[in-house]
Amino acid sequence: MSNQRKRNFQIEAFKQRVVVDPKYADKTWKILEHAIHEIYNHNASGLSFEELYRNAYNMVLHKFGEKLYTGLVTTMTFHLKEICKSIEEAQGGAFLELLNRKWNDHNKALQMIRDILMYMDRTYVPSLKKTHVHELGLHLWRDSVLHSSKVQTRLLDTLLDLVHKERTGEVIDRVLMRNVIKMFMDLGESVYQEDFEKPFLEASAEFYKVESQGFIESCDCGDYLKKAEKPLTEEVERVAHYLDAKSEAKITSVVEREMIANHVQRLVHMENSGLVNMLLNDKYEDMGRMYSLFRRVSNGLVTVRDVMTLHLREMGKQLVTDPEKSKDPVEFVQRLLDERDKYDKIINLAFSNDKTFQNALNSSFEYFLNLNTRSPEFISLFVDDKLRKGLKGVGEEDVDLILDKVMMLFRYLQEKDVFEKYYKQHLAKRLLSGKTVSDDAERNLIVKLKTECGYQFTSKLEGMFTDMKTSHDTLLGFYNSHPELSEGPTLVVQVLTTGSWPTQPTVQCNLPAEVSVLCEKFRSYYLGTHTGRRLSWQTNMGTADIKAVFGKSQRHELNVSTFQMCVLMLFNNSDRLSYKEIEQATEIPASDLKRCLQSMACVKGKNVLRKEPMSKDIGEEDSFIVNDRFTSKFYKVKIGTVVAQKETEPEKQETRQRVEEDRKPQIEAAIVRIMKSRRVLDHNNIIAEVIKQLQSRFLANPTEIKKRIESLIERDFLERDSTDRKLYRYLA
Amino acid sequence: MDRIDHLFNHYANRSSSHLIDPEGIEELCSNLEVPHTDVRILMLAWKMKAEKQGYFTLEEWRRALKAMRADTISKLKKALPELEKEVRRPSNFADFYVYAFRYCLTEEKQKSIDIETICQLLDIVLGSTFRAQVDYFIDYLKIQNDYKVINMDQWLGFYRFCNEISFPDMSNYNPELAWPLILDNFFEWMREKQA
Repeated sequence: MSNQRKRNFQIEAFKQRVVVDPKYADKTWKILEHAIHEIYNHNASGLSFEELYRNAYNMVLHKFGEKLYTGLVTTMTFHLKEICKSIEEAQGGAFLELLNRKWNDHNKALQMIRDILMYMDRTYVPSLKKTHVHELGLHLWRDSVLHSSKVQTRLLDTLLDLVHKERTGEVIDRVLMRNVIKMFMDLGESVYQEDFEKPFLEASAEFYKVESQGFIESCDCGDYLKKAEKPLTEEVERVAHYLDAKSEAKITSVVEREMIANHVQRLVHMENSGLVNMLLNDKYEDMGRMYSLFRRVSNGLVTVRDVMTLHLREMGKQLVTDPEKSKDPVEFVQRLLDERDKYDKIINLAFSNDKTFQNALNSSFEYFLNLNTRSPEFISLFVDDKLRKGLKGVGEEDVDLILDKVMMLFRYLQEKDVFEKYYKQHLAKRLLSGKTVSDDAERNLIVKLKTECGYQFTSKLEGMFTDMKTSHDTLLGFYNSHPELSEGPTLVVQVLTTGSWPTQPTVQCNLPAEVSVLCEKFRSYYLGTHTGRRLSWQTNMGTADIKAVFGKSQRHELNVSTFQMCVLMLFNNSDRLSYKEIEQATEIPASDLKRCLQSMACVKGKNVLRKEPMSKDIGEEDSFIVNDRFTSKFYKVKIGTVVAQKETEPEKQETRQRVEEDRKPQIEAAIVRIMKSRRVLDHNNIIAEVIKQLQSRFLANPTEIKKRIESLIERDFLERDSTDRKLYRYLA
Repeated sequence: MDRIDHLFNHYANRSSSHLIDPEGIEELCSNLEVPHTDVRILMLAWKMKAEKQGYFTLEEWRRALKAMRADTISKLKKALPELEKEVRRPSNFADFYVYAFRYCLTEEKQKSIDIETICQLLDIVLGSTFRAQVDYFIDYLKIQNDYKVINMDQWLGFYRFCNEISFPDMSNYNPELAWPLILDNFFEWMREKQA
C-alpha cells in the first residue's frame, strides 16, 4: 500500500456506509435465493459459506431483514411443495422410503440455511418475534408436506399397516419406522400425539379387541392368560425400537384394557378352567400368571380375591356343616388344617404372599369355622389326639409346627371360652390317666395359649400341671415315711386343687378294705402337713391295676376304673353276686354301676364277668360270676376307658349351658368396669364396648347384655337417667 | 281439724292400733260409694302419701283431708272428682304412677311385684287412658314365662311405652334401643300375632 494522497488518518469506529443502491437488496436476495435452490438441489458444494453469510448479514444490517425472512419462507415453501409432489407420486413401498429420504435432505438443508442466516436468526428474528429458522423449517415441512392431504392419510395408513403386519408376525423395516416416527417427534410433541400416537392407539385398541375376542372364544383360561402375556412384552419392545418412550405407558394400558380388563369377569368365571378350577387343582403357574396380569388393571385383583373368598366360604361351609364329616372330630380338624395349608401355599406361590389375600383367607376361615358350634370342642379333641399319641416320635420342631397350626385355627374361634372348657376337661383326663405323649408339648401349647389370650386363660391350666408335680412329690414323701407299706398294694394319689380342675360331682363308693386303709393313711399323712384343707376322694375318676387268675392258671393284669375295682374285689369273697348285692356293698350310684357292669360283662374281649341272664343290658335282677373262661392274647387287659370322646347330645347341652352360665358374670363384670370409668353412657355404646371387651373370649349377645344391665339396675349398680331413657348411670 | 280427727276415729275405732285398717277402708269406700278397687282410693292414698298399703295413719289422713278441704264424708265425696283431675295432670301423674308401684311393695326389701298384682294395678292405674295397651300387655304377661315378677324399671318402661309408641302398629319401636327386655319380648309377641 502506498500513501499517494496525503490524508489525515482518522481512526473511526467501523461504520458501514449506507449504500443507497436500490437494487442492492434485490441483488443480494437473489444470491441467497440461488443458494437455497442449490442447497435443495444437492449442489451446495459450489457455494462459498463466507460470502453467503456476509450477504445475509448485510441485508439484515441494512434493514432488509424482512425481505430476507419472507424470501426464505417463500423459497423454502416452494421447494417443499416440490418435494411433496414427488413423495405423492411414489409407488408402494417407495413412498415411505422417499419420505424419509426427503426429510433427511430437508434437515440437512435446513441446517445449512440456518448457519448461513444465523445473524438474522439472532437479531432480526427475536426483535420482531418471528419464528426461528430451524423451527420455521420444521413448521413449513409440517404444513407443506406432512399435512398435505394426500401425504397425511397415506403416511398414517402406511405406518399403521406396517405395525399391523408386524403384530401378525411379519418382519418390517424397523429402522425406517424409527426414522419416520422420529420425524413426528422432531416436529413437536403435539404433532406426534395428534398425527401418529392417537390413531396408533386407536388402531391398537381395535386390533387387540379383535385378538382378545378370538382368543377368549377358543381358549381356556390358562391358555388365554399365556396368550395375553405376549402382547405386553411385544408392545414394550416395539416402543423401545421405534416409538417415543412416552408411548410405552399408553400402549401398555391399551393392551391391558383390551386383553385383560375387558375379560376379567369372563376369565375368572370360566367354566372348568377359571379360578375355581385352578384353586381346586393347585394350578400355581396359571394362578401366578393370572395374579401378575390382573394386578395391572383396576378391580382385577379385587375380582380374583372376591371369587376366591366366595369359593372358600362355600367350600368351608359345606365342610363344617356336613354331618358325615362331623363324625370324626380329628378328621374334621385335620381336613381344615389341610385346606388352610393348601391355600397358604397358593397365596405364597401364586399370589405373591399378597396381604389382602391372606386377610381374605383368614376372614373366610373365621366365617365358616364358627358356623359349626362344635368347632371349639373338635379342635380340643384334635389336640387331645395329638398329645396322646399323634405326636409320638415327632421331632420337636415338627411338634411346634403342628401346634402353631392349631393355634391358627384357635384364633378364628369366636367362642374361645367354650374351647377353654373342653380343653380343660380333656387335659384333666390326659393328666390323670398319664396318657400324654410329651410333657414338653403340653407345656408348649399352654405357652402359646398364654401368649394369645393372656395369663388368665392359662393360669388354671398351669395349676393342673403344678398339682401333678406336687402330688408326685407328696407321694414320695408318703412312702418314705411309711416304709412298711412297700409290701402292700401301691397307691398313686393325685391331689387336685378344686378351682383348677373341671368340676366333677363327688361320687361316693365303698372301697375295698385294703384300699380304704391305705387311703386313710394317706389322708392323715397329707392333712398332717397341710392343715386347714379338706380332701375328698374322687372315686369316679380313678383307675386300678389288678392281678387276676381265671380258671386254674389264666393270669392277667387288668386295668380298670375304681368302680370296677370295687366290684371285682367283691368276688374275692363270693363266687356269685346279684346286682342288688353288688349295689349294696359298693354303694355306687345306679347309672354308674350299670355302665361299669356292662363294660365287664357284655363287651366282647373284656368279659371278665359272666352275667345271668345273658342279655345286652343290665337288669336289677341279674346275677354275676367270674368268667373262668376269660381269655385274651395279652397279659395286660384294659377295661373301661377314660379317653376323651366326642360328647353325646345331652352332655353337649350341659356343657353349653355351663358356658352360658359362666358368661353371665363375665358380661356383668365388663358392664361394671365400663360404667365405673365412664360414669354415664348410652345404650348403644355400652353394647358396643361390652362386645369389644369380651371378643377375645366370645361373641357377646346384645340381648344377653341387656338382660345383665337390667339385672344390675335391679341390684342398684346402675340406674336409668330420669330424663333421657337411653342413658345409664353408674351408682357408686 | 277437730272434725277431721273425729272422722278419722270413726273409721279407726275397730283396730287396736290407732290406724284405719283394711276393714276401715272398706267401710270408707262404701260410704264414699266408690268401689274398693277403684283408682280414686289409690289416688286418695297418694294424696295422703300413705306408706303402708291397706292402712292410713292419722297424720296421713289429716294431710289429705286438709288439702282437699273436706271434713265430712259428703265433702270428701264431692272432692273426689277434683282430686282425680289433679292426679291426672301430667306433672302429677308420673309421680302417682311411681307411687302406685311402691304402694304395692308390702314386704320389707321387696323390689318387685308378682304378675297377678301387676295386672290388676295396670288395669286400675292406666286402664282408663291406655285401654288397648294395657289389655294386650296384660294378656302377654299372663302367657309369658320369662318373668314372674315386675320391677320398677319395667313398670316405668311400660308407661313410657304407652306415651311414646304408637299402638298397635308400634312402628316407632326399636328393640335395639334401651327399652327393658320384657317390652322387646312383648313387641316380638305382638308382631307375631299381627303377621
